[in-house]
Amino acid sequence: MDPVFFIVGLTLSSIVATIIAVFYSLVLPGIERKIQARVQQRIGPPVMTPGWWAVLKFWYKGKAEPIAQMPLFYKSLIWLGIAVVLLLFLFSTPYWWVVLGWGSVLGIAGFLKLEEVLYVLMGSQSQSILTTPMPVNDLVKGAKVKGVLREFVEQHSAERALKMMAVGSLPLYIALLVPFVAARSGMISDVIRTQNPVYFNSSWLSLPLPSNPVILTVPGFLAAIVYFVGYLMLLNERPFNILKAKIDVIEGGVLEYASKLRAGYYLMRNLLLFALSSIFVTLFIGIPFDPFMPLCFALNMILSLVLPIAMAILVAFSPILTFRQIYPATVGLSALGVLALILSVSL
Amino acid sequence: MIERSKDVVEKELSFGPVHPALIEPFRIRLFVNDEIVEDCELTINIAHRGVERLLEGLPVERALLITERVCGICSNVHAWNSVRVVESGLSIKVPDRANYIRVLINEVQRIASHLIFFGHAFEVLGHETFSMRSFLLREVFMDLMAYVGGNRVMPSVPVIGGIRPRADLTESLKRVILERVDDFEKKYLEFVERVVADPLVMSRLAGVGLMSKDEAIKYHATGPTGRASGWDYDVRRMMYEYKPFDFNVIVLPEGDNKARVVQRALEVIESLKIIRQVVKNLPEGPIVNRDWVLGKMDFTTMYFETFRGELMHSYSLDSQGLIRGYKIRTPTPTNLAAMEKVCIGDHVTDAVLTIASCDPGLTCCNRVEGIESGKTRIMSEIEIVKKYGWRR
Repeated sequence: MDPVFFIVGLTLSSIVATIIAVFYSLVLPGIERKIQARVQQRIGPPVMTPGWWAVLKFWYKGKAEPIAQMPLFYKSLIWLGIAVVLLLFLFSTPYWWVVLGWGSVLGIAGFLKLEEVLYVLMGSQSQSILTTPMPVNDLVKGAKVKGVLREFVEQHSAERALKMMAVGSLPLYIALLVPFVAARSGMISDVIRTQNPVYFNSSWLSLPLPSNPVILTVPGFLAAIVYFVGYLMLLNERPFNILKAKIDVIEGGVLEYASKLRAGYYLMRNLLLFALSSIFVTLFIGIPFDPFMPLCFALNMILSLVLPIAMAILVAFSPILTFRQIYPATVGLSALGVLALILSVSL
Repeated sequence: MIERSKDVVEKELSFGPVHPALIEPFRIRLFVNDEIVEDCELTINIAHRGVERLLEGLPVERALLITERVCGICSNVHAWNSVRVVESGLSIKVPDRANYIRVLINEVQRIASHLIFFGHAFEVLGHETFSMRSFLLREVFMDLMAYVGGNRVMPSVPVIGGIRPRADLTESLKRVILERVDDFEKKYLEFVERVVADPLVMSRLAGVGLMSKDEAIKYHATGPTGRASGWDYDVRRMMYEYKPFDFNVIVLPEGDNKARVVQRALEVIESLKIIRQVVKNLPEGPIVNRDWVLGKMDFTTMYFETFRGELMHSYSLDSQGLIRGYKIRTPTPTNLAAMEKVCIGDHVTDAVLTIASCDPGLTCCNRVEGIESGKTRIMSEIEIVKKYGWRR
């Protein structure tokens, strides 16, 4: 392809994809919350409130400086996070598949790891008044144990984020490999070619449907289950939200984000919610988010609702798990993922 | 020079007094290795309200209005026990019908309190749905309190010598109570079965926060907290008001967080039994005895089985019938002290749950404040305001 055409196409597709992703992702939390509320026999908030109006509200709130070791760095992490999640999503769209070769399993895994690292950095930076610096008289009176490190809850959350990074998200990465192994390639384009060969010859107004989606195979189905649980872990949702458990570490590393930064955090989180769902549809069902094929991206968006809806139902019925339960769950899910991986060799 | 404990402790994590998980202000200091709690220190006395001081010198009838406001969850217990003190001290006889209705409202409030406990415990557990269901189920008993006493939170049923005329049960009200209780029982049993059958919830509760019977006795973990550790102790057994009723005291030997939840769940069923007995066997007769005169009364102490454990009210009256030296001891201080020990060895997240599992009620227990020159003395609210200002 002519490089000029390619760059123009890439720019246009990025703009269209970004606009659609940002706007659509802001609807998802409302749907999620509404379903949770219905399970709990509540009416729940209006659908647009938790996403759209929450972001707009925080965007126009008065500026509040976060208390952090390095405030500028802490603040920049949010914008870095949005950029990482946006790139993660863009690299799963067709025009970006060939850029730097990152439209591959390595690109997706790399961006996801980077996103996970952000929580460690945020946690180590944030220093909320709610914990260590609160002027309480028991420090004057003395304590049973003196001279030990007095840790902020956010720092404790950062340690938990590190553990989740090392162990918790492992199942998702194993599950992510299955469509690539089935396609015998590390590239997303080859995954789509295996599952949906007609996509590459379709016109812009057509709707290419996959002929052999990997989710309809035994290893693909097992991997999809593992992916879903890994999705919860990566989004820090119940039952795997130990790094932002309200009862001890409150919000974790993002505790100090307020006003615009809080709006930014919601944007990042909602974008990740959509990006991971869209990647799931791309890799496991074979329908990519192509900004120049309206029916194709619309179908991708509709199918992307499956994971948030399933998540909302599971979240409503789950308590927070501690590492006592998370470690065995991770081992079990990783084993299931490995089984799916082995079986996928035969596809 | 830095002092270090003999045991190796990596770090301190402190929560509160302002923290979303704590519905009342207190401070938890956890000394942890990685995620495991090695030691714990709880600091209370942040929500001081000076109730005992407020009661000093008041006519005993007026004092009732204040004692009921010691706690919003167990308001009736405080009102009833403060009345029992003067009834015992001046040998005032209470009609049987009044005692039955006092028991009724107490058991109604016990169920409402246990359902608040479930709501809070499941919230701490992170299970929003079970938490919301608990609060939804509780509405039945909030309504019943309003029907009997005229108020959902402060039913103000007991007065000296009996109950208020407003709280007498009519035939239609009896029918409503029985219908509501039957309907509640069906829904409640379904709810409890779902909780107990939930493997995720049980994995968080079972085997966590273990307290043996000896430890329960040593730290005086009263009420459901002690009974869930196998300590068979319930003040209701010794109260003459409860003699006409047939009920079981639920004692479980396990002593973990699951036992503390299940114990309360079973206790609700026993309370339902008592409520049915009250309504079906309610004797006819007067509801209040006005044949008494207030006068000098020596210090009299009465114990009561409140929803969280043993409650003590103690005071004397001077020759004009004014209160002197009011003392209230609620179950929370000893229960919390027990939890301080019990959460050692737990995961940090479980430790907060263990502390919540004793159902702490802090605004009821915070009354003494002021340490000056190493000596503790009770200060009035005015003294505290003068010394520290409103925003101390």
